Amino acid sequence: MKILIDERRCVGADLPAWMALGGGTGLERALADPAGIIPAIEAAGLRGLGGAGFPTHRKWAAVAAQPGPGKWVVCNGNEDEPGTFKDRFLLSRTPHQVIEGALVAALAVKAANIVLYINPREAAAVRVLREAVTQWEAHRLFARLATAIGEELHLLVVTGSGLYIGGEETAAVASVMGGFPFPTLKPPFPAETGVNGAPTLVNNVETLAHAGQILGHGPEWYRSLGLGGAPGTKLFSLSGDVLRPGLHELPMGTSLRSLVFEHGGGMLAGKAFKAVFTGGPSNTLLTAADLDVPLDFDSLRARGSRLGTGAMIVVGEGTSILRKTAEYVTFFANNSCGQCPPCKIGTHQVSRILERIEAGAGRPDDLRALENLTELLPGSGRCGLVDGAATVLASSLKTFRAEYEQALRPGEKR
Amino acid sequence: MSGGIPHAEALAAWRARTPAQPQALALPVPELLKRFHPDRQPGSMVPLRVGASAGLPCRAELATLLQSDSLVEDVDIAAAPMLDADVLVIGGGGAGCVAALTAARAGARVILATKLRLGDSNTVMAEGGIQAAVGAEDSLQRHFEDTLRAGHFTANKELVAALVSDGPAVIRWLIQEGMSFDLAEGSERIGGNLLRKKPGGATAARLLSYRDFTGLEMMRALREAVLLQPGITLLDRHPSLELLTDDRGRCAGAALHDLSLGRTVLARAGATVLATGGAGRLHIAGFPTSNHYGATADGLVLAYRLGAALREVDSFQYHPTGIAWPPHMEGQLVSEAARASGAALVNGLGERFVDELETRDVVASAILREMAEGRGVARGNSLGVFLDTPGLEREKPGILGKSLVTLTHLAHRAGFDAAAEPFLICPTLHYQNGGVAIDPDGWSGVPGLLCAGEVTGGLHGRNRMMGNALLELVAFGRRAGRSAAANARAERPRNIGLTHLADWRRALIAQGLPLTSKAPVIFPPYGNFDMATQRGRAA
Repeated sequence: MKILIDERRCVGADLPAWMALGGGTGLERALADPAGIIPAIEAAGLRGLGGAGFPTHRKWAAVAAQPGPGKWVVCNGNEDEPGTFKDRFLLSRTPHQVIEGALVAALAVKAANIVLYINPREAAAVRVLREAVTQWEAHRLFARLATAIGEELHLLVVTGSGLYIGGEETAAVASVMGGFPFPTLKPPFPAETGVNGAPTLVNNVETLAHAGQILGHGPEWYRSLGLGGAPGTKLFSLSGDVLRPGLHELPMGTSLRSLVFEHGGGMLAGKAFKAVFTGGPSNTLLTAADLDVPLDFDSLRARGSRLGTGAMIVVGEGTSILRKTAEYVTFFANNSCGQCPPCKIGTHQVSRILERIEAGAGRPDDLRALENLTELLPGSGRCGLVDGAATVLASSLKTFRAEYEQALRPGEKR
Repeated sequence: MSGGIPHAEALAAWRARTPAQPQALALPVPELLKRFHPDRQPGSMVPLRVGASAGLPCRAELATLLQSDSLVEDVDIAAAPMLDADVLVIGGGGAGCVAALTAARAGARVILATKLRLGDSNTVMAEGGIQAAVGAEDSLQRHFEDTLRAGHFTANKELVAALVSDGPAVIRWLIQEGMSFDLAEGSERIGGNLLRKKPGGATAARLLSYRDFTGLEMMRALREAVLLQPGITLLDRHPSLELLTDDRGRCAGAALHDLSLGRTVLARAGATVLATGGAGRLHIAGFPTSNHYGATADGLVLAYRLGAALREVDSFQYHPTGIAWPPHMEGQLVSEAARASGAALVNGLGERFVDELETRDVVASAILREMAEGRGVARGNSLGVFLDTPGLEREKPGILGKSLVTLTHLAHRAGFDAAAEPFLICPTLHYQNGGVAIDPDGWSGVPGLLCAGEVTGGLHGRNRMMGNALLELVAFGRRAGRSAAANARAERPRNIGLTHLADWRRALIAQGLPLTSKAPVIFPPYGNFDMATQRGRAA
C-alpha cells in the first residue's frame, strides 16, 4: 500500500495537480478543528520517522504549550546518512505533501515561521521546493492558515551546510540560525529554546508528510495501514546485496524477510543472507535470526536494535562486514563536528584501527582496543554520533568476530 | 576444411612453375571478404546484451567473457594489503612500459603490474616494423589516408590524426631511448638515413624496421628504460582480477593477484592505465594465434564491467602468414617482411593467387579460399599454402641470412632450410582491431580509467595496417601516461571497493545471463594453471 510515494501523487511542484488529487483536505480539516489536530496525531500513533521514533504528538503538545508569538517549525530534510534516500525522494517528487504536513504542524503548535531545512546537495529538491512554496503562498488556504494562527506566515526554504551532523535537531536549529551545525546539550530541548531562542518544533520530512495524510483520512485509517499493532506505513531505503534495491513503502511492522525476499526480489545472485545495517547505519546489526522480526520501532528495540531512518543495507555472503563497518565508522569519524573530544578522537581512533585491520596489518591487540573503545565511547558526546559509531562497531565485532580475526596479520591469528 | 593437395605433389607443382610469374591478379575483393573472412561467417557474432555497449555486435566467444561475473568479491579484498600510487599501469608490454615511463617522468609515482614478466607481450613479436611519415615524399596526410582506407573508413579520424601526427616524434623518442633502426644502403652508422620500406596498403615507403625483430628491439630499449627509471614499482606476476571503484564511481586502481605469494593485493591509484593487449589466446573461431600466452582479453572484460564503451569487437585481424606445419609451431608468425620484400604466396597447384601486398584481411581471405576450395597444401593434419622463400632468396640473394634472420631461425627450428623449401603457412589470429573506445588523450569515458595499445579500439577501424600497432602503442602510451600523471593527484580515491559489481550482477540477472561464467580468463585453459584454487579466499 503506497501512501506517500504512489506514482500518481508524484506531481512535483504543481499545486493545482496536488489539490486535484485530494491534496489540501488534511489542512482544511485541521483548519476546521485546530484543537483536534494533536489528539488525531496521538490517536494515529505517529512517531518520529527521522530515526528517533519519539511520539510526534508529545513533541507537538510541548511546543503548543509554550507561549507565542514567534514560534518555529523546522522540517528537517538534511538527510545525509549512508544508505538513506527517502527524504530527497519526497521533497523532489511530491513536495506539497510535505509542505501540507508542515502547515498542519504549524497550525497545531501555533507557529508562524515555517522552515524547510534542506541539504544543499539535493539541488533538485531545493529547486522543486522553492517553486512549490511560491505556489502555496498564493493559495487561499495559506491565507486562512495565517488568520487561524493570527500572525503573518513565513514559509522559507533554507539550505543547510550539507554536513551529516546538521541533521541532528539541535544542530538543525543552529544551522537555521545561520551558524555552524554544532549540536547542543539537551535539555533545553528545541521545544523550549530553539531558533532565536523561541520554541521550535523539529520534525523529519517523512513524519510531516504522514501528518498531512492523517488529518486528511483520519487516525483509524492510518492505524489500519500497519501490521501487528504498529500504525501506518514506512519508507524503507533498501540497498546492498538485494536484487531490487530502492525505496519501498511498506506497512509498519512488515517483516525483514518480506522486505528483503519479497519486495527486494531476494538476495542478489542467490547469495546467503548475512546481516542488515539499519539506518543510519548506527545501530545493532540484524542477522538471519532477526529475519522474522516486524520492522517497527518497538519490535526492533525489543531485539536490541533500532529502526532508524528505515535504511536497510543488506549484506550477503561475499560482502565483508569488516569493510562495511570500517566504511561507516570512517564516515562518522569524518563527520564528527569536533566539539566533544571523546567523539572527535575516539571515532578517528576506531577508524584508524579498522583501516589497519582492513589492510591486513591488524594484531590481536587491535581487537582488544576496539572492544575497550566500544565501552568507553558511548554517552561521551553532546549528540548521538559517537554512540551510533560505537554501537555499530560493537555489534559487528560481537556478531562477526570471526571476520575480524580472519583479517589479522598472518601468524597473529588466534 | 576440405582436404588439400598432398605436400609432395604440391612441392613438385611449385618446382615446375618456378619462378612464379609476376602477374597482376584481379580479385573480387568484397565478395572474397564476404565469403571467406572469418569475421563474416554467419553465427559468429552476437549482440551484447548488458553494459555500456549493449546492442553492439561482438564475437560470441568474447561476448561470453564480457558478460560474465567477477572472479572476486568484497570479502576477498578484505584484509588485502594496499599499495598506493599516483598511476597504476596494468600490462607490461610496449604500451604499458611507455605509459609508465611517461607518467614517472612527469613526476607521478607509478606501479606497473604485469601478468607475466616485464616484456612478455605481443610487442616483442612485432617483426615487420613501425610506420611513421618521415620520408621526403611522404606526408602525415598520406599516412592518415592510408590508415583510414586500410580500416575501411571506419576508424575514428580524431584518433588516427593523433596517431599519424605523433609518428615522427615517436621515432625520435625511440632513438633517444636507445632503439636501433635499419639504415638505408650507403648510410654511415652514425648520422645515416633510416631505411624505409613500403608496407602493404601504403602509398609511400614508411615502414621503419630493425631487421625482422623490430618489436623485440623496441622492447629491449623500453625494458631497460623502465628498469632504470626511478619512481616505477614493478610488480611482475601480478595479474589483475578486477578494477576498483571509489565512492564517486571513479576507477581507483585494481585488485591484483600476487602469484608468488598466492594472495590478493590492492593497488590504489588516482589514475589507472589499462595496457593489457589483445585476445588471441581465446582462439577465436578455432584459429591458432600468433599472440603470447597472456593475451586473453582481460582488459576488455575489466573495462567493460566498469562501464567503458567498446567498439568493433566483432573485428579481428588474421595474419596471413602463420606457420601451419609443424604442428607444435602452429600459429607462430612468419614476418610480413617476407612478403614486403617480395616473397610470393603459392597454392598447391604452384600458382600465385593473390597480390601479396594487399591488406591483411584480403590476403588472409584469399588463402582461406584456396584452402576451402581444395587448392591448399596438406601435410599430415595441417593445411595451408606455400610462402615462397626460396624464390625470394633467388631474387635477392643473401636476404634470408641478412635481414630475415627470425624467419630463417624459425625454419631452422622447424627442421628445414628456408632457402630450399617453402614455408607452409595459414592465417593466424593476430590482432584485435577493436577494443575500448578512447579519446585522443587515452581516456576511456570512465573517470580515472585510461587505455592504451591493442586493448583500445577506433584507431584501426576494421583492419589494421602493418606497422601501425607499434606506432600506436608508443604514441598512445605516451598520451595516456601524460594524461594519467596530470590527473592522478587531483583527488585521492576514498572508500575504494567493488561497488560496481552489484549493479553489474543485477544487469546480468535482468538479462537472464548466467552468473556461473567468470572472467577475466587470465591464463588460457591449456596452461593447467589453476586460478580457482589460488585466487582470493583460498589465499
